[in-house]
Amino acid sequence: MFLRRVYAHSLKSRGFHDLRTYQDDPRWPGWQVIVGIETHAQIKSRRKLFSGSFTSGVDDPPNTNVSPFDAAFPGTLPKVNSKCVDLAIRTALALKSSISLRSSFDRKHYFYSDQPLGYQITQQYCAYVVLLFINIPMLIAANMPAPIATNGLLEIETPQNSPIQVRIKQIQLEQDTAKSTFNPRIQKSHIDLNRAGTGLMEIVSEPDLRSPEEAGAYVRTLQSVLRAVGSSDGNMEQGSLRCDVNVSVNRKGDPPGIRCEIKNLNSVKFMMAAIIHEIKRQTEFLNANPGATVPQETRGFDENTFETFRLRSKEDAPDYRYMPDPNLGALVLSQARIEEIKKNLPPLPWEIRSRLLNKYPSLRAKGKSLDVLLNVNNGREVGFDGEDSGGAVEYFERLCQTPVRDGNRGPERDPVVLLNWLTHELLGQLATRKETFTDNPLSSSQFGELVDLVQDGTITGTSGKHLLRHMLSNPSSRRPREIATEFQLIALTTSSSSPSTALADSSATSELEILCRSAIADLPSEVAALRAGNKNVLNKIVGHVMRKSRGRADATATRALVEKLVIQDEQ
Amino acid sequence: MRVNVATKWTNISHLQTQISRYSTHVQCRQAIANKNSSVNAFVHVSGAPSQLGKDLPLSGLTVAIKDNIATSRMPTTCSSAMLKGNSLNVHSVHGPVKNPVGLLQMNDPVEERSAGGSSGGSAAAVSAGMCDAALGTDTGGSVRLPASYCGVVGLKPSYGLISRWGVVSYADSLDCVGVLASDVHTTKQLFDHIALYDELDPTSAPNEIREQASRHLAEKAFSTDSSLSILKGLRIGVPQEYFPSEISPIITQHVRGVISQLKNHGAIIIPVSLPSTSYALSSYYVLASAEASSNLARYDGVQYGSYVKPPLGTDLTKTSKIYAHSRTANFGQEVQKRILLGTYALSADAFDNYFLQAQRIRQLIRNDFNRVFDIPSYFSDSPDHRHANTDQGVDVLIHPSAIRTAPLLSESKSHNSSLDAYLQDVLTVPASLGGLPALSIPIARVKDDGAGSKDEKQWPIGVSVVGQWGTDQLILSVGEAIESLQQ
Repeated sequence: MFLRRVYAHSLKSRGFHDLRTYQDDPRWPGWQVIVGIETHAQIKSRRKLFSGSFTSGVDDPPNTNVSPFDAAFPGTLPKVNSKCVDLAIRTALALKSSISLRSSFDRKHYFYSDQPLGYQITQQYCAYVVLLFINIPMLIAANMPAPIATNGLLEIETPQNSPIQVRIKQIQLEQDTAKSTFNPRIQKSHIDLNRAGTGLMEIVSEPDLRSPEEAGAYVRTLQSVLRAVGSSDGNMEQGSLRCDVNVSVNRKGDPPGIRCEIKNLNSVKFMMAAIIHEIKRQTEFLNANPGATVPQETRGFDENTFETFRLRSKEDAPDYRYMPDPNLGALVLSQARIEEIKKNLPPLPWEIRSRLLNKYPSLRAKGKSLDVLLNVNNGREVGFDGEDSGGAVEYFERLCQTPVRDGNRGPERDPVVLLNWLTHELLGQLATRKETFTDNPLSSSQFGELVDLVQDGTITGTSGKHLLRHMLSNPSSRRPREIATEFQLIALTTSSSSPSTALADSSATSELEILCRSAIADLPSEVAALRAGNKNVLNKIVGHVMRKSRGRADATATRALVEKLVIQDEQ
Repeated sequence: MRVNVATKWTNISHLQTQISRYSTHVQCRQAIANKNSSVNAFVHVSGAPSQLGKDLPLSGLTVAIKDNIATSRMPTTCSSAMLKGNSLNVHSVHGPVKNPVGLLQMNDPVEERSAGGSSGGSAAAVSAGMCDAALGTDTGGSVRLPASYCGVVGLKPSYGLISRWGVVSYADSLDCVGVLASDVHTTKQLFDHIALYDELDPTSAPNEIREQASRHLAEKAFSTDSSLSILKGLRIGVPQEYFPSEISPIITQHVRGVISQLKNHGAIIIPVSLPSTSYALSSYYVLASAEASSNLARYDGVQYGSYVKPPLGTDLTKTSKIYAHSRTANFGQEVQKRILLGTYALSADAFDNYFLQAQRIRQLIRNDFNRVFDIPSYFSDSPDHRHANTDQGVDVLIHPSAIRTAPLLSESKSHNSSLDAYLQDVLTVPASLGGLPALSIPIARVKDDGAGSKDEKQWPIGVSVVGQWGTDQLILSVGEAIESLQQ
């Protein structure tokens, strides 16, 4: 995005070029691909970065969350929203970055209709630092970083390799622009200032990625980190996460090539496609022009053709005339504030995983289901200003707590069973209803009791699934036991000494027997075959009973009872 | 720039005062009606207030507001076509503010003089008796120069004491709201009520720093028995660099007169040197223009202000090409010149040699001031500079406010003299770069041989008192003493 810096960035890459050992890729044999990514993540704060106005969702009507500052009215001044700073600190901590106790804001000037001030307030200029002196910015020392954080690290899992470490060059705070929509028919631009001034974190990776797949894994991992710490909802479809990608290619053993930047990629799929096209384009260029270097360019991506196209060359790069913002001075952070944020930092996905495995060792065998749970947890609604909105993991952990009812502790709940019910049944049924976990109307105590009812044999597994479906379609605060009784889902048992004595009374006992007897009466030829020794027909009789019981009958008990009754009749 | 007028109401416990205040207000309206057509100071006059005598501290004070400070009821146009101002400043077609001092002397008509800028409207309004006090803004001398030219008191407070929320930014790191009035007492009265912390201004000095500054001042234990008693033992520095060759000899003469009067009343006069002063003007123009080029980028005619529709055939895909028409038509020539200067100073090729260099000079200027003042700078990272200074420092500095009396209007209009116009600021910009408080007090009216021998009129000259950051009350007290010495 910023040619001055990125140029230095690519020179620097020569130094650490061999951090990654070369691996041949059959798609482009003999070529090494180097990728670095700048991510713009919208900060999930209630209010904008410098004005008191609220941030906007996709449904807000245009120009409804706008303060005079957002519209660049004369006489207005910026004021840093400390919530945005806190969320940037969270991100920096999660990305193991060193946080600058003093950072500064700069103005980046360019005229565009989506930027009413005529400049963007960002944290770009690195040549010197501005300090607070009578609140007047003043020049003091060289070579201190302007961004709020630098030198971070993100470990990503890739399908092909062991986990790789991606270095984070810097994290900087900046303003988002307004939305401008050009209507070619009437030759007019419509400007929506709702987004103008929303806080962004620009997260810049070092060029440590070596394939489109690694780039995809990096963005997905970064997305999950941002969501986990609550600093951004990382929603690429809605534009709260955008990527600019720097791609260069070089022949094996050669120094890195000249990079091109592809701007504004708004999905992982498009980003990977853009990198693949760019590799193809650059290698073809170098093959066709031996000895030449790829012209440094800023490029766009066409989502219809899956190809990149030239936006401007290095020579056309605008001069942004960076200037320290004279109103904001230095952003000074205390170590105590950073420690406080560190103490309350929400856990990262891999931390949650190891914590759960520690707490419930039996889940070690359920790796896949645990991944499903963690993914769902990461997909939860990200709360404003870093407030926790409660996710699937929290729900699961509440489920695992054995409830105390009427002063009595119930039987221990089994985390494996709960995880199965949660990931297979609850999430499965929500999926069929085209709903997500956030739509789940069952409280953890309702769902926990439902699983308990199945586990203690009060209802059968089949009835449990019926009951869950009913409770999803008819949300209420009623207890599952109550609903099960009302719908006569209580399991039919063979004797009156049922484990769930309160409701499974003796009438239920006889009911299963009545059902079995009527099946025997309804299916005389099958009964005759059974008596003749054909055990296979027993399944048919049991199935009949099961159907008639609407899932309340337990198959094993029914089988035993039918067999017993048939033999009794013989005698 | 011309001004708006507003009247604020206060509690004046004494009935007679209230009546006299009220009659002042009526007199002001009368004065505006009689004189504004010739002085050209006001762009808007508010209606008569609906109620009088509310129990408020500034009750009855008629205050003019510079047209770059937003008010709740009056238009804010900066007297610029860009903000649909129907009036324009000295550099534009509507005509400049005329120095009322000349207009009110019943001599033969001579060439009209300027009230100075950019708070010339505020100074002229006070000088002509059209208001009791006025708010102006001072970036490099815009309150102090007009005050000196129009013969009124002008205060540029320490940077960050008065909120800039509502002030149209020119150069944020230098802009200060200033107060103009006919005497120091009224200046102080208004200043005391508006110099308050404002959380809406990120550069507003926090309360603890204000308190620290007043504690430092209290430790000095200046006598306040009478207006002159402050002078006993007061260490007044006279910076040698503030008497450049361009200065009019008659001004030097009068300032010397004031200095000997101060000495006679017990002040200790100490010659000091502020060696970086000669670089101040260049530094100031680079920094102020750079910040102005940035701050004026927002005037594109889209969200507010005047919009000029681009002619047919304009390349609509380039935003800057569309904005260029509004900006070309509505910015005055001087504004355009400064935007271009500032844009150049920030460009990648010039940044190090201009903007950064100017910042370094700004620091040298600050160091100069910190070296001579006895009171330390509360914001300095190295608090030991006071001890590094073996000699006892000075409490305040005194120097002429301007190198000349009010210039002829014809001079300020002519383009080839614009460098001379910049030179007028040479004595005022160092305090701006340092963020220091400075007060200009009228000391004499003189016949000026410099501007043309035919002029028989008497033109005001002013002297400036400059203090360390946060010593605004001290310089006001010294100003009051100087004022009483003139009577």
